[in-house]
Amino acid sequence: MGKLSVVGKSVVRIDALEKATGVAQFTSDLKVPGMLHANVLRSPHPHAKIIDIDKSKAEQLPGVKCVVTGEDAPDKRAGSAVLDQQILAKDVVNAVGDPVAAVAADNIDIAEEALELINVKYEELPGVFDPEDAMSTSPSAVVHPDLFNYEKGPFGHRRFDFDKPNVMMHYSIRSGDIDEGFRDADLIMEDRFTTARVQHCTMEPNATIAIPEADGGMTVWVAKQLLHPTRTVIRNLFDLEPSKFRLKMKYLGGGFGRGAVFEEPIAILLAMKTKRPVKLLFTREEVFLRGGNRIPMIVDIKDGVKKDGSLVAREISAILPSGPSEAFTGLVTRNCAFGAVGTYRIPNLKWDSYGVYVNEPTTGGFRGLGSTQVEWAIESHMDMLAEKLNISPVEIRRKNFLHEGEPNVNGELTHSIGVEECLDKMERFIKPDEKPKSEGMWRRGKGITVSNKYTLAPSADMARVKIAEDGGIVVYHAGDEMGQGIDTVCAQIAAEVFHASIDKVSVNAVKDTLHVPYGMGSCSSRGTYHTGNAVRLACEDAKNSLFKRAQEKLGIAPDNLEIKDGVIYEKNNPDNNIKIPELFVGYTLGGYGTYTLDGEIIGNATFLQTNNPDNPENGQIDPERAAKGERLNASYAHSSKAVEVAVNIETGEVKVEKIGVANDMGQPINPKMCEQQAEGGIGMAIGAALIEDYRVENGIPLNSNFHDYRISSFGDMPYSKNIKEEIVTAFHKDGPFGAKGFSEGAMIGIDAAIANAIYNAIGVRIKDLPITPEKVLRALKEER
Amino acid sequence: MKRIIKFVVNGFEKEIAVEPWWSLAHVLREELDLTGTKVSCNEGDCGACTVLIDGKAVKSCIYPAIKAIGKNILTIEGLSSKNGELHKIQESFIENFAIQCGYCTPGMIMTTKALLEENPNPNEEEVREYLQGNLCRCTGYKKIVEAVLYSAKK
Repeated sequence: MGKLSVVGKSVVRIDALEKATGVAQFTSDLKVPGMLHANVLRSPHPHAKIIDIDKSKAEQLPGVKCVVTGEDAPDKRAGSAVLDQQILAKDVVNAVGDPVAAVAADNIDIAEEALELINVKYEELPGVFDPEDAMSTSPSAVVHPDLFNYEKGPFGHRRFDFDKPNVMMHYSIRSGDIDEGFRDADLIMEDRFTTARVQHCTMEPNATIAIPEADGGMTVWVAKQLLHPTRTVIRNLFDLEPSKFRLKMKYLGGGFGRGAVFEEPIAILLAMKTKRPVKLLFTREEVFLRGGNRIPMIVDIKDGVKKDGSLVAREISAILPSGPSEAFTGLVTRNCAFGAVGTYRIPNLKWDSYGVYVNEPTTGGFRGLGSTQVEWAIESHMDMLAEKLNISPVEIRRKNFLHEGEPNVNGELTHSIGVEECLDKMERFIKPDEKPKSEGMWRRGKGITVSNKYTLAPSADMARVKIAEDGGIVVYHAGDEMGQGIDTVCAQIAAEVFHASIDKVSVNAVKDTLHVPYGMGSCSSRGTYHTGNAVRLACEDAKNSLFKRAQEKLGIAPDNLEIKDGVIYEKNNPDNNIKIPELFVGYTLGGYGTYTLDGEIIGNATFLQTNNPDNPENGQIDPERAAKGERLNASYAHSSKAVEVAVNIETGEVKVEKIGVANDMGQPINPKMCEQQAEGGIGMAIGAALIEDYRVENGIPLNSNFHDYRISSFGDMPYSKNIKEEIVTAFHKDGPFGAKGFSEGAMIGIDAAIANAIYNAIGVRIKDLPITPEKVLRALKEER
Repeated sequence: MKRIIKFVVNGFEKEIAVEPWWSLAHVLREELDLTGTKVSCNEGDCGACTVLIDGKAVKSCIYPAIKAIGKNILTIEGLSSKNGELHKIQESFIENFAIQCGYCTPGMIMTTKALLEENPNPNEEEVREYLQGNLCRCTGYKKIVEAVLYSAKK
């Protein structure tokens, strides 16, 4: 790889100025002339039949323009892998928060008042809440009696177990011979690990503005990841003409996998009925109820190991309660398995995961897409095995790492694995053999883990690059800018390809599906790898186009041309050159402005990451294609996390006093922005490990607000000098400049490192997240 | 019933009709189009809506607009100088990479302004304590703390 001049440098984020001055536009901030305000009436019951809805009083309230119920909504359903979501419930509600009716009014006060005037009669039905009950062959309730007839959706996976009426996805991996593996083992241990329901808690609440256009089309501002795919789902729902239906977004106030269910259609429906723009802005409670939450997973893990710590068999069964809608749970149910795939050599593996419906607020994608919960179990269990075998936590991990070129349990050949270097760095940082000092009631301990996060395939991104008359480089891409910095990453990549300074690049800040070419969007830590690659290729294409045009003027073939700082020159004779503006014709009669005779100078490219698909019954990919290096996933990022905790044995309080993270991301595009992701992962992981628990009892949510559901704040973090972020660069052969995405992985493994440190401090093992003071005290009591 | 109130926002006098139940955040965003002040929880729990009222940091989503009569309000839009020069806190947040999605940023910056007015040279402990009521989901807070300390030294 040649010397890099912009990639690899911590240039200032291109969105920072707008955000520091308050002018950055979020969908929740926007207003449109003539705009109405929507409000949604939601089910108070976890499972009930709708007997009757009386909306007449609401319709008569002055200022109310429209009231809609399920009767007014299209019959088609929305969704990700399973089309199971009704825009407004037609006959049954399946969770507290399910939308039942919606109002559009002149202002939000009237819209709110109108909701109180809608009368809904329900007949309550028994619900199903316990995930194991839900996945049984005779559950307490069936959430979608017609499930097996539902249409398949465009995102993710579904695979029914026809004897289990609430299971919408069952994924399996079979590798080796599990029975033989356990027969060979010197030690077998079996444990259950669980996690709580965690909310994304993006600071920006969900927002939609649906604007009917004069030509019969519809423009919709959304606050959601995955602009283009979302457009596909909504377009199908309403049979909108593709070229007249567009989604727009500038900045998203935090992503993390939020927005599992589709409520944008409610605003669209109201806009269609009233022929006026309609804004739907969620309250914080609605974000909890309908924003999708991290799946509270039950993971049963059984491991067989030899005396020296080498794994011989691993059996995992995971249950993923999804709420009333599949809403990405199908994808999570399959892909969470990769948490068990990407790090260790497992000679014999049996994996089964089940996505199941329950009558609780919806869950779905969340930073890590399930790998976090699975690796919580694995990385806790690795320590438990090590202790029983009397070897160190570092040694047992090191013994079992996959190495470059080695097949994993899906049959994929490992590539770009920096886990060992990550672990080495963290071992040096935390010094696990030096026991920290305890004082009074505060006992200290250390914990260390490793982890991985895959980036998905197959998926595609297109990008377009336009060269402006002043030599400016304008980049159009479909990555959602949700704070992770994809716009800056794309600008750096473009500047690098053109050997230009970053300030010559503009990245179109408003993403408009009518103008930006298709891209899957920001998810699965795919932005740098996929979108970045598309931008890199589009820039190469634009450069080519520039060189062809310069060829006529300079008399030199494109192969012998190069560009730097907007000057195209002959490689062997830099004095023979031309500046970009000289490729444009000057001012002409009939108007101001410049043009070229061959149309705009643009570059266009598609980056398609194909894959070698797995058989959903055994997880195996085609071995012949695998031998040629064709992978199941695009890439794997690796990491190691190390913490020191203090545990108060009188109060049960746990403080993370010191934390180190080493993340392998191949080439960092912007090291400071990589630190941002690493630190954000730490903050979120400490919350999920110690505090966050969105509680739902018998279908009734108990803490849908920031007062009763606390996320980590300043005081929960270690002091700055005790937070260490390290970068490991296992280059990826197909990543742009060797880069791969890692931002989800930034939070994986921290929960288990904390649990391992607690064990190290006080000798009790907590297997259920979050690790609250109550759980610590209870465990201490049981120990005595 | 609506009442006419007068107050000063970012140096300009405003006269505006408000409903008694409207929050100051609502009036700033919906009536005055000052959307730099963010509303995230609308319950006083997250600090995204923080503005300065007579120099003190206030969560404007739970501050009744009618209480603002005669008060001097500063929002993020009023922080830069009149010729557009950034305030040192804004510069510091940008240079120290303390901004990600940006939705908590105006509240963080306004709270920092109040902090530095009370305590021009805070230590890390004092920064953590003072900003405890401002939530951020992206940054893990480290770079925000660094930005605040850096701007104090600037």
